Amino acid sequence: MGSVFLGAVHSIGTTLRIMSYNKVGFAGFIAVMLILLMAFVGPFIVPLDTQTKVDQIYQPPSAEHWLGTDHQGRDIFSQIVNGGKDVIIVAVVAGALSTLIAVTFGTLAGFAGGQVDSLIISITDIVLTIPQLPLLLVLAALVKLNNIFYLGLILGALGWPSLLRAVRSQALSLKQRDFVEAARALDLGTMHIIFREIVPNMMTYIIISFALAMTGAIYAQVALVLFGLVPFSGSNWGVMLSLAWVRGAIYFKDSIWYIMMPVAAIVILQLSIVTMTRSLELVFNPRLRSGE
Amino acid sequence: MATLTAPSLPDLHEKPTESQLHRVLHSYFFQKSVKALFTAWVVITLTFFLIRLLPSNPVELFIQDLMVQYGMPYHEARDQAAALFSIDLSQPLPLQYLDYMIGLLHGDLGTSILSPGTPVSGVIKRFLPWTIFSVGIALMLSFTFGIMLGLFMAYHREGLMDHILTVLASILSSIPNYILGILLIIFLGVRWGIISVAATRGTLSPGVEPGFTIEFFKDALYHAALPILTYVLTTIGSWMLTMKSSTISVLEEDYVTVAKAKGLKESRITSTYVGRNASLPMFTLLTIAIGFVVGGSVLIETIFQYQGIGYILLQSVNKRDYTVMQGVFLVITLSVIVANFFADILYSWLDPRIKLGKQE
Amino acid sequence: MPNNNVMSTENQHVILEHEAGSGTPLTLHNVSIVYKTRKGDVQAVRNVSLDLRAGESIALIGESGSGKTTLGLSIVRLLVKSAEVTEGEIIYRRNGKEVNVLALNKNELREFRWKECSMVFQSALNAFNPVIRIWDQMRDTAQSHGWKDKKAIRQRSLELLRFVQLDAERVIDSYPHELSGGMRQRVLIALSLLLDPQVLILDEPTTALDILTQRTIIDLLRKLKEEQHFTMIFISHDLAIAAELADRIATMYAGRIVELGSEDDIFYRPRHPYTLGLIRAVPKVVGDFQELFSIPGSPPDLINLPRGCKFHPRCPYATDRCREEEPDLVEVGPEHFAACWHWKEVAKELDTKPLHITS
Repeated sequence: MGSVFLGAVHSIGTTLRIMSYNKVGFAGFIAVMLILLMAFVGPFIVPLDTQTKVDQIYQPPSAEHWLGTDHQGRDIFSQIVNGGKDVIIVAVVAGALSTLIAVTFGTLAGFAGGQVDSLIISITDIVLTIPQLPLLLVLAALVKLNNIFYLGLILGALGWPSLLRAVRSQALSLKQRDFVEAARALDLGTMHIIFREIVPNMMTYIIISFALAMTGAIYAQVALVLFGLVPFSGSNWGVMLSLAWVRGAIYFKDSIWYIMMPVAAIVILQLSIVTMTRSLELVFNPRLRSGE
Repeated sequence: MATLTAPSLPDLHEKPTESQLHRVLHSYFFQKSVKALFTAWVVITLTFFLIRLLPSNPVELFIQDLMVQYGMPYHEARDQAAALFSIDLSQPLPLQYLDYMIGLLHGDLGTSILSPGTPVSGVIKRFLPWTIFSVGIALMLSFTFGIMLGLFMAYHREGLMDHILTVLASILSSIPNYILGILLIIFLGVRWGIISVAATRGTLSPGVEPGFTIEFFKDALYHAALPILTYVLTTIGSWMLTMKSSTISVLEEDYVTVAKAKGLKESRITSTYVGRNASLPMFTLLTIAIGFVVGGSVLIETIFQYQGIGYILLQSVNKRDYTVMQGVFLVITLSVIVANFFADILYSWLDPRIKLGKQE
Repeated sequence: MPNNNVMSTENQHVILEHEAGSGTPLTLHNVSIVYKTRKGDVQAVRNVSLDLRAGESIALIGESGSGKTTLGLSIVRLLVKSAEVTEGEIIYRRNGKEVNVLALNKNELREFRWKECSMVFQSALNAFNPVIRIWDQMRDTAQSHGWKDKKAIRQRSLELLRFVQLDAERVIDSYPHELSGGMRQRVLIALSLLLDPQVLILDEPTTALDILTQRTIIDLLRKLKEEQHFTMIFISHDLAIAAELADRIATMYAGRIVELGSEDDIFYRPRHPYTLGLIRAVPKVVGDFQELFSIPGSPPDLINLPRGCKFHPRCPYATDRCREEEPDLVEVGPEHFAACWHWKEVAKELDTKPLHITS
């Protein structure tokens, strides 16, 4: 039991070391970890400040309120800490669904070819052409979207086309590669070829697809919340922006902290996810590793 | 010259003569047209069923509204709805669909619920050009500068400018476009007072008449400047980075080495040998970008109060003007399909390998 | 050394007639080239000196890693950035004037390339810009060198395409992807003659082609040599092409010329064990089945070269002296040089066991 544990620790250690070869990517990875920590563990440490303090509206950062206060005198820092959870959950759900669809059908299309491929690609192209945001807008008008899982699923169901194309082209090029030919020559069976030969080589793409799907989902959900199209309560980052927008906070000089904090949080999250993929690439694609 | 002793090779690459019809059917142009038309048809059908079949579809919702607000009996409400939506609710669904299609071909998209008497097509005619104007200019600027910068970055790889630009591009790509719009208002408008946000609202200053005058264009550009800036800043990053990597791989191609060996002028190599080949993959990005920017216009136009078709869509959603919403959504999607079609055709002009024969 | 543009832009004749020059168009003097890598300096070319006389064709023969391609590329200065010519000169002469190619500035180099010395690359498959026509690629070459007369350029291009046995009218307006690999190789040869260069470098001109096309290309090149008196350098690992086309052959090993001599000398009287090995390795096409001969071992590590003669680990004649001192080229016959301490023994062995080469 102990040896299994040690083995796991060792391989995590190795993985981290490999990731550290790309400094920028590793910074992104650390940032993502910190944000996750803050979003899921933070709320237990920093409870949401719900007290209205009229005399402390739009205060700049101070010792008491690290990031200042909002339009009702509530502490911004606590809102930021508590506000990441929803955003991330939606992103993860959407990302997972999109990636699942993209990888399954993308690999199938690339590997199987022929009519299967044509069919999948036709459907993909059509869904790809429909602009995502207007469609979401229309859906939001017609359907109630206040459950974060439901929202995540819908975003996931719309975000897969560009991912699928990328996965498919990767599968296509892998199909021609020598090791696949070799596996075929050794008569190893289609399932084996797909799962033991092709998919491991596509892990990079799968990871990157997942990251991109998440960034797309963050983009879409914050947009929906910002423009009041999704009746969210609570105080996730999108809601903070929405309130700021609605109250014209962007036009006041003092309220800048209230606006900039969720903006910064969202942008940092997006950036970190994207840069993290570069480190992850190194883990899954040994050929990219150069320096020791 | 002495006569040759070696036998000449038969020309092994003479294509067998194909029938004209065969060539047309398999031509790139034809296939792309079919694809565009088919996608358009799918979208139109989808919209129809979206509107009619969802449990809380707009027609039913509207009828409920009327019944609740005005105490109308169901029949009357339904008739009003039918008139506004330009559909005959008493007919079976397939016939409604047919009517809908025929109506579309005539340009009949129904009438606005909230502004009775205003046909939806009229609303679209009034606001669509502004969006096309701003989005079109933005895409051209973003594409052109993105390609030039990407080329520059590839040529000065690992240099200081390359690193700076790469970081800039990455950051810009990570900022959602609507947030960037807000930031522009905050910093350019409110904090630094560079641009008067109030003055740039709307698509035209009051009193300026549309027409082919310089005054008109100047004013239109002034009002479209902020949205265009937002679109450009948020899309240029990915152009730059993709062009840079595309250029880097082209620079390693044999024909570039041969071009240098031929003693070609540097400008010729950069433009025709490197530039043209490296920018080919950008055109597939273009189709995605068109969809993205047009979709984003919904939010950007709202932020800047720029009355284009995106602005109208959001307004109609918020005000529950379902007929307008349906019509605008359709038009937005169709515009994207048309724009993509043109991008595909443009690509085929630029890459001679696509000219004949089946595409991929 | 004159630093203005030595190469005057004579207007091109429409006829395909190359003025048979005289003298020595190209001299390589003590050229050494290294590639800088993280693991160290790869010594690709070491102290190579060579004279190329007007109208002659020299073949540089060697395995991969022998430095032959690097040497060829260095003449037109097309080496990659990590390569550096650490010493030596490459002297080019025409009409009594001479320049050091390595000292030319960017513009002079650009003029020099293709007009004075052109290069036919190994595989023409990707040698052309895929998005413009063949005609455009011929025209821009000419125009970049100051030749503006479009009609004349076109005339000449068509003539050259006919010369390489292509359907000129059709090919000239085609895109590269519409032509086969063999056709592209021929277009490349035609292109290389466009500006009537004095020197032609051909890097493995037939390697990537099928046998039939190889034959055509070789015959074409022979025509060029015999009728047009071009000065040519062939780079190859294939002795056959040397046999067909070369007046003189230089075998290269580990960055140096180890033997230099006329075609006859090399094939009938080789004096370096490596050359001997290369020749022996070619199996007989006719006659009884024989044991295949190959040179044992593998080429040396160019970063950490062994002491003494670089061939000694694989050489049956190696002695202690070979392991310590590297031999220079010495005269072993009229105009025949070999870099081996034991060339006399090689000669003796050949007297007793002649080579099986049929004429």
